[in-house]
Amino acid sequence: MSWFTFHFQDFSFSFLSILFEGIPFLLLGSIVSGVVDAFVPSETLTKMLPKNGALAICLSGLLGGIFPMCECGSVIVIRRFIKKGLPVSAAVTYMLASPIVNPIVALSTFTAFRGQSPWVMMSLRVVVGYLLAITVGFISRQIPLDRLLQSNILPSVQGRTRTSFKISTPVDAGNEIDLSGDTFWKKLMRSVQAATSDFLDVAFFLVIGAAIASVFNTAVDQQLIRPLATSVPLSIISMMTLRFMLGLCSTSDAFIAASFVSFPFAAKLAFLVFGAMFDLKLLFLYQLVFRRKYVFALGIGLLVAVVLICLQISTQL
Amino acid sequence: MKKIFSRWLPCATLGAWSAILLFFYFSGRVKDLLHPAFRPYTLIAGLVMLLLAACFVFFPMNLDACADDELAAKSFGRKTYGRLLTFFILLVPICAAATFSTNSYGLSTMMNRGVVDDAQGLKAQVKSTPYVEPPLPSNDKSQPQSQPQYAGVDQTSQPPAPVEDEIPRSKDGNLIVQVVDLLYAAQDSTMRDPLKNQTVEMIGQLMPDTVNNANGKRFKLVRMFMVCCAADARPVAVLIEGKTKPQGEEMSWIKVVGKVEFPIENGRPIAVVKASKVVATDPPAETMLY
Repeated sequence: MSWFTFHFQDFSFSFLSILFEGIPFLLLGSIVSGVVDAFVPSETLTKMLPKNGALAICLSGLLGGIFPMCECGSVIVIRRFIKKGLPVSAAVTYMLASPIVNPIVALSTFTAFRGQSPWVMMSLRVVVGYLLAITVGFISRQIPLDRLLQSNILPSVQGRTRTSFKISTPVDAGNEIDLSGDTFWKKLMRSVQAATSDFLDVAFFLVIGAAIASVFNTAVDQQLIRPLATSVPLSIISMMTLRFMLGLCSTSDAFIAASFVSFPFAAKLAFLVFGAMFDLKLLFLYQLVFRRKYVFALGIGLLVAVVLICLQISTQL
Repeated sequence: MKKIFSRWLPCATLGAWSAILLFFYFSGRVKDLLHPAFRPYTLIAGLVMLLLAACFVFFPMNLDACADDELAAKSFGRKTYGRLLTFFILLVPICAAATFSTNSYGLSTMMNRGVVDDAQGLKAQVKSTPYVEPPLPSNDKSQPQSQPQYAGVDQTSQPPAPVEDEIPRSKDGNLIVQVVDLLYAAQDSTMRDPLKNQTVEMIGQLMPDTVNNANGKRFKLVRMFMVCCAADARPVAVLIEGKTKPQGEEMSWIKVVGKVEFPIENGRPIAVVKASKVVATDPPAETMLY
């Protein structure tokens, strides 16, 4: 049998299922984003976080506990947060942590791994995800904004220092809509407008990611990856590659990971941690906000870090 | 032109997506695509998008006002051809997929995914202790659920319930089971013994068997096992041994009636149904197992 056999009907079936599963979460993220845009004044977000930069990053990594968001939605939300004045490093931390450090994902991980050390898997996923997210936040803090953000995002923020912590604020009053005088109806309409705009913008990338994942899902002979399960390093890398290609949602990917019984525990952990932070659709989505070089560096950095951490964990378990 | 891009195309896109979501939900086709837990979200998302589209129709808005300061030139390209391409990608693939998609995978995709014929390949729920997790539940309404408690009975404290009390029967008196039930049964004697030599009835798709099939009378009865959505569904199969070579087209839906045996092959017990009757049938109300 050939390693590649494409059938449009099967592709369509898989493609639709990924879209149907992802659209509601994307829509939720867009609506949150729209509401934030129309109803939350810029300074509110910056005031919510501690003035100490390091503390702000650490706290941002936990915000998913209050504002749970999967990876698709979090990209939309942080784009809005950045424009609203959230420090970029804190926004990056939230973006990476919220698909993992949130109660929905923790619960789904625990449920999916019942019979397979669910407490250990859930705890390790949350802790490793959180630590990686704040590490990336601290690193991002050292990078100039013009090397971090897309050129279309950059003009809407300016770096200024608040207790040695770079924050982004609207460039001028003209770019920031004054919400104080608007009626509720006007704010509502603006939130609808912003939500729709965000939704269509990100849905574009979801469609592309879902299409690529569906080709992989249906046309490629997946028996080819099975022998990789026998070696821990290879199994870790192959599970991460698979997760990257599949572009699953972090709220449900644990069910997929748990089904790979022949793969070692560490490989499944790598699948869960890396995939929620970086996959094929995120590769596109992140570029809505961040520069391509940063996105690729982020991907490579996360890949190396997750491999090393999971290799270390595999020796302990 | 500006009005088309800022008002009517977003409106049409939202409307089309909403229509597709709602059509799949109300026509029942969403059952083939998503796990029951995710289906209500399809309805909600469809309605919300319909509402958003209606907002664009009745309360004209200008997405450009948004794009000016935030969307700039990513997917919403500032140039006309870029915007057209964006809406083309947003509209055409999903419309084409909705039009041409079937309600199940074909043989080549199933083969690509690898047919699971061992419960270990599904989930590590069967342990080597007397305490056994129940078979994964199925929402297949066409075949009443086998009640799994008989598999999870604590053998040290109470005797196993008679199998005939726990598993529903057809009007012909056959035990109605699912493919996954037999896969789990093959792994654990507490499930295996009560089922051994019982006459069972199952529905699935016909797939040829290419291993250990010298006389050509063996084939596989296969169902897709879904965790979240069809993209993660994997084929699970049980071996059927007929009196003659299997009739019917590959991947056609069939009903098999036969006695269950658990011979040792390749050092492990496997489930084989010695079929006394194989007939074509309609697909079940829910083609996926969960």
